[in-house]
Order: sequence, then C-alpha cells, then structure tokens
Amino acid sequence: MTVAERLELDDMQGLILRGYRDLPAACFVLLAVKDAAAARGWLAGLVPQLTSAGTRPAGSAINLAVTMPGLRALGLPSEVAHTFPLELREGMVTEHRGRVLGDVGESAPEHWLFGGPATPQPHLLLLLYAKDEAGLARLLDAHANAPGVTELHRLPSTDIGEREHFGFRDGISQPRLAGIGGTGVGDDQAVSAGELVLGYRDEYGLYAARPLVPARLDPDAVLADDVEGSGERDLGRNGSYLVLRQLEQDVPGFWQFVDAAAGEDRTALAAKMVGRWPSGAPLVLSPDADDPGMDRARLNAFRYHDQDPQGLRCPVAAHVRRTNPRESLDPDPGSDASLAVGKHHRLLRRGRSYGPRLPIEQALHDGHDGRSRGLYFVCLNTNLARQFEFVQQTWVNSPKFAGLYDEPDPIVAPGGSFSMPAVPVRRRVTGVPRFVTVRGGGYFLLPGVRALRWLASAGVAEMPNTSSPVGS
Amino acid sequence: MPYQQALTVVAPLRDGERAALDADLAAAAAGRNGTAVPFAELTGVHFARLFVLDAATAADGTRTPEQLVWMSDVDAPLERHREQLAERAGPALDPLFRHCQGYPEQPDDAGRRAYLDSHTVHEATFYVNTIGRGLDQVLLEQRLRDALERYLDEHRDQLAGLDSAEVRERLRRFVADQPQLQVALEPPQPPGIWFRARETLHMVLAPLLLVLLLPLILIGLPIFALLLRLHERRDVPDERPPDDRHAEQLAALEDHSIQNPFIAAGSVKPGRFRLLTATVVLWIAGYFTRHVFNRADLAGVKTIHFARWVFLDGHRRVVFASNYDGSVESYMDDFIDKVWWGLNAVFSNGVGYPRTRWLIFGGARDERVFKHVLRRRQQPVQVWYSAYPDLTARNLRNNQQLRAGLAGGMNDRQASDWLARL
Repeated sequence: MTVAERLELDDMQGLILRGYRDLPAACFVLLAVKDAAAARGWLAGLVPQLTSAGTRPAGSAINLAVTMPGLRALGLPSEVAHTFPLELREGMVTEHRGRVLGDVGESAPEHWLFGGPATPQPHLLLLLYAKDEAGLARLLDAHANAPGVTELHRLPSTDIGEREHFGFRDGISQPRLAGIGGTGVGDDQAVSAGELVLGYRDEYGLYAARPLVPARLDPDAVLADDVEGSGERDLGRNGSYLVLRQLEQDVPGFWQFVDAAAGEDRTALAAKMVGRWPSGAPLVLSPDADDPGMDRARLNAFRYHDQDPQGLRCPVAAHVRRTNPRESLDPDPGSDASLAVGKHHRLLRRGRSYGPRLPIEQALHDGHDGRSRGLYFVCLNTNLARQFEFVQQTWVNSPKFAGLYDEPDPIVAPGGSFSMPAVPVRRRVTGVPRFVTVRGGGYFLLPGVRALRWLASAGVAEMPNTSSPVGS
Repeated sequence: MPYQQALTVVAPLRDGERAALDADLAAAAAGRNGTAVPFAELTGVHFARLFVLDAATAADGTRTPEQLVWMSDVDAPLERHREQLAERAGPALDPLFRHCQGYPEQPDDAGRRAYLDSHTVHEATFYVNTIGRGLDQVLLEQRLRDALERYLDEHRDQLAGLDSAEVRERLRRFVADQPQLQVALEPPQPPGIWFRARETLHMVLAPLLLVLLLPLILIGLPIFALLLRLHERRDVPDERPPDDRHAEQLAALEDHSIQNPFIAAGSVKPGRFRLLTATVVLWIAGYFTRHVFNRADLAGVKTIHFARWVFLDGHRRVVFASNYDGSVESYMDDFIDKVWWGLNAVFSNGVGYPRTRWLIFGGARDERVFKHVLRRRQQPVQVWYSAYPDLTARNLRNNQQLRAGLAGGMNDRQASDWLARL
C-alpha cells in the first residue's frame, strides 16, 4: 500500500529527486581510493559542495556514490560491511548474476570497460552535471584529480535531447515519490518513499535492508538513529542503491533489422517493439500512427489490461509494456491488486546518453560509423533483488514474460522472436538479434549526506582492521 | 489417461558418507539435466530430483542423520514407476544409494525394489498444476502448438484477409492432415473411472464429515483460537540472513533454465499443538489442491507445476518441494503478494518463521524475514530433471486450451479469442 511520508530532503542527494534535465552537460567519473586518510580528507571537503535534494541546483550539480570495495577502502569496519545486503556485498559480477542480468556472451563482464574482472575495481562514482561543456570542464578540473584518489575511467555523456539513440523519447514513465510535488497515494505511478529511498516505509509498510552502524562507532552522533528502533545508527537513511550499466546501442543494426523485416513500415515495427512511437506517444493510446502533438500529461495516462488486454495495440512483448506492466499481470489483471504488486518492482531511472547521434537515414544506408554510442543506464532502488534484478530477469530477459514462449525484450535483451497480436492472425518476427551490449557496470550506494559525513570522519579511520579485505 | 502421483524415497546415509555421496551426485548431475540417471527412459516422469537433506536436530532434541532423497512427479500407476526405477534406473542409482544405510551390497531388481518400497514416504499434501494432464498430453500439445505456429508463419499472407472462423477451420484441416497430430482433434481421455469416482467421493465426503463434526468443531474452535494466540505470542522469529556460502551454493544451481526446483526443510515447532495444526492445515490444503486449485491457478499463482509437503523424521520435520517457473525471487514474491495466507497457515508451524497473527495474518508479509527464513531453510537440489525444461506452466495451459479449441463449433468472436493463443 502506498503511503506518503515527510522526507528529509536536505539529507538526500539531489539525484533521488531530480534528473537534472536542465543541466545537459554531464560526466560520470569512476575513482579508486589510493590513500584512505587523504581520500577521507578530500571527501570531508566535498560533502558540503554536494547537491542535496533540498535545493534546486543553480548551474551545476555534484553527487557521489560508492561501491562496497570503495567503502572498505575508505576504512569501513567489517562489522558494518556485513550489514549491507548481499547484492551490494557481492557486486554486479558473479557467475549467477550473469545469468540473472543477461551479462553473457558479448555482454559478459570479462569484456567490460569498467567494473569487470579485467579492469581495476571502481570505488567511487562522481556524478557531475553542468549547464554546458565549459562548466562541466571546470567541475572535472576541480574534482576528478583529488588527493587520495585516482581516476580510473571517465564516462562522458552527450546531450542528444529527449530521444535516445534508437530515436525514441525516453524517461517518460517514472515512479513518483508519494507526497512529493503533489503526488497523491492514489496515483498509478506513486510509490511509497521506501521503494526508492532507504529509511522510509516501502509498499509493504516495511524498511528495506540497509547498513547499520553500532552507536559506539558514531560517538558524535553524525548519523540518524535506526528508525526501526534497533539502537544502532542508520548508515543507509536517505540513501539509495544505485545501478550503473553502460549499454552500447547498435543503431545501424537496429534500423537495418526493422527495415529488412518491415520495409516502409520500419518505424511502425520499431514502435511495436518499443511500445511507444518516436515522439513518446504510447501505442495503447495511438495505435496506428505517431502523435507528436500528444499532451504530455496523456503520455503516461493509460493502462494495459483495461485498454489493450490482448496486446493488439501494444504487443505484450514490447519493451515498455514489460519494464512497467502496470496492472496487466497476475494475480488479477486489471485490478488494484495487480497494480499494487507492480509497485514492488519500480525503478527510478537517471541515465544519460553517450556518443554522437547517428541519424536514422545514415544508419540505414551507411551502416556503422565506427563510433560507440549508447546509454549510461543509472537507476535507483532500495531492494536490488526485488527491483532492478527482478525487472531485468523476470520481465526484461525472460522469454516467458506474461505467458509468452520465446520473446525476451526485443530492444534490450539478447535476441529471440517477437510477435504482434493481430486479427485474425498475429505477425511474428523471428531471429531478432542483440541490439544492446553491456560494456560495464556496478552496484553502488548513493549515501545520504550525513552518511557521507560519517564516512569522511576521522572516526572511521580509527577503527581496527580498516584495510582488511573482508569477504574477498 | 493417467493422473499424476508423487513418489518420495528417503534413505538415511551411513556415517561419514556425505562427502563421497556429494561427489557422486555432482557426477550424476553433469549436464544439469541429470544425464547419468536415465530419467527420460522412465515412463511418464514430469520432474525428478535427488538431493541430500542435511542432518537435523529437531525441536525435542532428536537427531536425524543426513538423508538421500528421491522425488518424482510421475503419471500413474506408481507401481510401474517403482518397477522401472529398480530395473531401468537401478544401475545409475546404485552408486548413489550405496552410501545409504541398509542398501543391498549386491543390488538386483528385487533388492532395489524392496529398498525403495521400504523407504517410501507418503506425502501429506500434493499440488498438481492441472490434474489429469499426463506427460504424453503435454508433449503432444507442444508439438501441436509448434506446428500451428509454423503453419501461421508460412501461410500468413493467405490467411490475413480471412475472418477468424475461417482461419480456425484451415488450421483444423491442417491438423487433420497430420498423422502425428490428428489425435489432438479429440479431447484428451480423462483419468480412469475409479480415480474420478474416488475424487468425487472425497470431494463430497470430506465436507460432510466436517458438517457431522460441526458441534465438536464449534466447541473446539474458541479453545484452538486461544491456544493459537498463546503460541503465537511465544514464537521467536529467526531474523538472521542466510550465510553467504549457503546463498552462493543455492545460486550456483539456480536459473539454468526457465524452471527451477525448490526444496525447503524445517522443524515443526515443539509440542503437540503445532503438529496438530500443521497436520490439519495440510489436510485442508490437500482438499483444496485436489478439488479447487487443480486448473492451473493456485489463487493467482500460475507458475507452479508440482508441489508437495512431506512429514519426515517421525513428524518432527516438514519438507516442502516444488517445481516452478522463473526465479526464486519472483517465486518468493508470489508467496508474499498472492498466497501469503496459505503459506502462513502451513509454514508458521515451523521453527523461526516470521510471527503470524491468527495463523494466516502477518508472517510472510514481513518480506525481509520471510525471504531470509525461506533461503536459510532451502537446500541445494544436486540432481534435477524436467521433461519439458523450456515450457512454463502458463505455456502448458495455453497449449492445452489451444488443443481444446480445435474441437466443436465457434463463432467468429470465439475463434478470434482462440487464435489469440497463437
């Protein structure tokens, strides 16, 4: 059940509340801690400069996330490290998680540019946003070469507008925090804060697993008390778990495939695969042609079972229908119960595109230009197993989604068939290849501001076993 | 046509044999779909598994050694299955069961058979996704579906302008022309008359018995409720997460196909009250799985092929086993979101379960603790076989309705809905 709570916005990093759309220049920087004490000193200076959710950023924004190895490198005591959920402690790269996330074959971590076994382990993720490239350059100068840390890898984004590289408007459907910006609890897209922010009640009315610190390790009471009353201090509160994936998009491969399969109707086929037209108009509301003038409020104002139970408009296998099935799944498609179950699996997306835009005409005729392009996928959630991993495994990658047989996500999963229900007979496209390849990734904690202050504090350094490689 | 049955064989290990058995099980599991054991040569086996149940100390202090367990979901008659197990699978099973107490040194068919019989444990409750849908039917209906899909792919242009009833007619004619598929035009044979008579009798007599006992029940119910609340208040949920090694072991065996086996074992809470409650609840659950939830839908959960509950170790432990579609995460979410009440009624009689109220409330709704408990109770399934590892229960249901829709007359609207299954 969705509940609205008062949120401590000043203690939350701004990314939870904002995608910083008005700061189109962005770069993500992966850092490694070289000297724990120096890095903590740098962190202590950085924390006041971080952009919180409490104030709208003017001109630039800085946020910071940290991996489990990063926390250990900063000196996190092992007894605190053990309180993190398993997904974070194991990280994105395990043999089993490869099957869950579909990181196999060309997407396997051994080929990754970062976060895989072939490259150094990232510790910190600096997320920098500015109004323009000059402003971004200033941010990079100021923060990327800091004492105690070294830069491992830079993920520079490209402002290609609202449409992602395949040419479709992205980021339309997002879960909204109940109680923020007039979002009522009865809204289809509203979720309890605890689904996206740690330390608040989630849709079950419970508090997601999060790191806790014994009170003796926080003598200055920097951290908030555990809201569940354990007597420990909450290192997770106002934070979130951040997923980063570099998803390389094969734009010529995509457009040439739909062209070969549908000829003149290539855009219609592509729209069927996505579930929206290039303008973002949903197929459920505009089944036969794009409707670029559609009112923004309508773009997300639809349900599947109610308006299109058989998928005659938006195929069941389409990308947006399976990444957010709304009220269309069991226990009782079309019901509030199904909508409520769906709310346990929402993700807040904060990605940015990278690489130069390749116009569709050029993709069709000239093919590959040798440039890498795609999406730095970023999402936030509080239960990686139930949210990000569930969506990836059970909805996106599963060829069996919602009763299908052999139809994984036609856009982002590694290939299968794709059918479009029609009367009297469905159309089926077989041999859909892989259009998206994973090139890197990792699981991070996007800590609250107080949590970062505690991590930067000398208190952490004085703890025993600061450099013990626990769990490795 | 057959109905489905469950076979459970439980054999205690000899002291010190665990490591050797684990190695032999790993060898038998090579290739994951149980290549060393000739499952596919055993008639009518839908699913089968072999695993080692950890040693346990029950709530009353009784120790049980490690046990090797065989489980299969198989078409009746069980008699034939046992015979084939001894004869056809015997040579593959000998190297595994030789680690068990009392297994014949020089096993022959009769010796194996006697051993299997004497170590068979009858399940308390058996859930079958669709009662009476035998393996042959499953495989026939999948061949039918594949053929129809191919036909549509090849003839789409000729069919596109026709109305739905006409398309259906063409598909029926196509099926009639296929010697291997013709039989699908007829409805499947229902299970035999004796089975149906027995089930009908059970369906009627069980509630009748309850009506007869109603005065007693009415008197007993308040006492039961009082005792229940007293017990629930004393319950101690075990909130610890599973240890990392255990979680890794489980994960290593999961998600190799779209189906997964699940097995969890737990001790019944001490005292007669909880055992009695568990027994009665499982008996009621058995009534519902036999007569109500027997058509592909377990109160909104459509991903379970087979499941069973078995009392072990003189009713000190309960083992829950199932074959389900998708990930363990989605499976546990289904438990929490859709059938929490049923899970609570059964599992809350087990040690460490999250606290329930009035038997069915609370419990599984405590997501984190519930998942921890389930994962901690879960055991790796070393050897596992599925006769149709690429098909979900929803696929099977759709195939079945596809086949059913070949028979009889349909108007255009009905034909259109039927064609939507393809």
